[in-house]
Amino acid sequence: MSSIVPAFTWLEGLAWTTALRESPYGYPLIETAHVASIVVFAGLVIMMDLRLVGLAFMPAPLAQIQRRLFPWQMATFVPSTVTGILLFCVDPLRYYRNVLFLAKLAFLVLAGLNALVFHLKTYRRAEGWGEDPQVMAMARLAGVASLLLWSLTIVSGRLIPNNWFK
Amino acid sequence: MLLPFFEWCDGLAMSQAYRDSTYLFAVTQALHVLAVTVFVGAIVIGDLRLLGWGPVGQSRASIARSAQRILLWAGLAVLVTGIPQFTTNALTYERSWLFAFKMCLLAAALLFTATVRHRVAVADERHLPPWVPKAVGAVSFALWMGVTISGRLITYYG
Repeated sequence: MSSIVPAFTWLEGLAWTTALRESPYGYPLIETAHVASIVVFAGLVIMMDLRLVGLAFMPAPLAQIQRRLFPWQMATFVPSTVTGILLFCVDPLRYYRNVLFLAKLAFLVLAGLNALVFHLKTYRRAEGWGEDPQVMAMARLAGVASLLLWSLTIVSGRLIPNNWFK
Repeated sequence: MLLPFFEWCDGLAMSQAYRDSTYLFAVTQALHVLAVTVFVGAIVIGDLRLLGWGPVGQSRASIARSAQRILLWAGLAVLVTGIPQFTTNALTYERSWLFAFKMCLLAAALLFTATVRHRVAVADERHLPPWVPKAVGAVSFALWMGVTISGRLITYYG
């Protein structure tokens, strides 16, 4: 881990990261944009998950609601990722040692893997949805995992400023 | 004018317990953000449908009815987690113009959602000019994003 410190020190010392860190508007506005985009992104993911587990939007066919929400999920995922990377670049030495930040990253990766597996395995058998109990069970499982992982991502992300585990 | 109310909130035993605890405030704050995320998700799916961009295979009323249950439960969670955050910092918020702005925007958003947005969402789609649901969806999205953004900015400029 310590071998990465010189790279983060270099990143932290760049003119633009220093300017963002010292500006009264730079960090707050990027962080606010990050929160706003992640709230919409994760909110739409959770709506899809609630449909997957059978708790909401039941009249809408799964494949149809997924197809219509996916572009909006991606459209908000991009700004939330860009602003998230910018936030990290502004203060890398503080973040990389923060257990809650690392936990958020871990949950994020797991949530991404869960979404990837869902799209590659279950979603491709969408024609069978509503008929094949095995596909429905897999979809429900993916929905439960996604709900749990995105909730943990958001909660751990909001807890990052409280560096409890030094 | 409202100072006695803010002082009363600040003096509550719950506010003191939150100030004394290392974890209580932070965990409540994190759960508040989670509840806001679910609430905004239910708003945005309805707004997208009103704008004609969301799940258009379903009627606006069907999406609105499904989202309503989520809005009620998530709204309750937002309230339950928001109140202790407010009372704990009541005296700071009393001086915050951003907090006042957020509360005004929240009142406007709630009123708009419960009245105009709801009526348009459940109305017979054939009896409304196409621009009406689009305008309502756009206003709703702008109001709720305004609430979210101003709420976050309180930390920095409140």
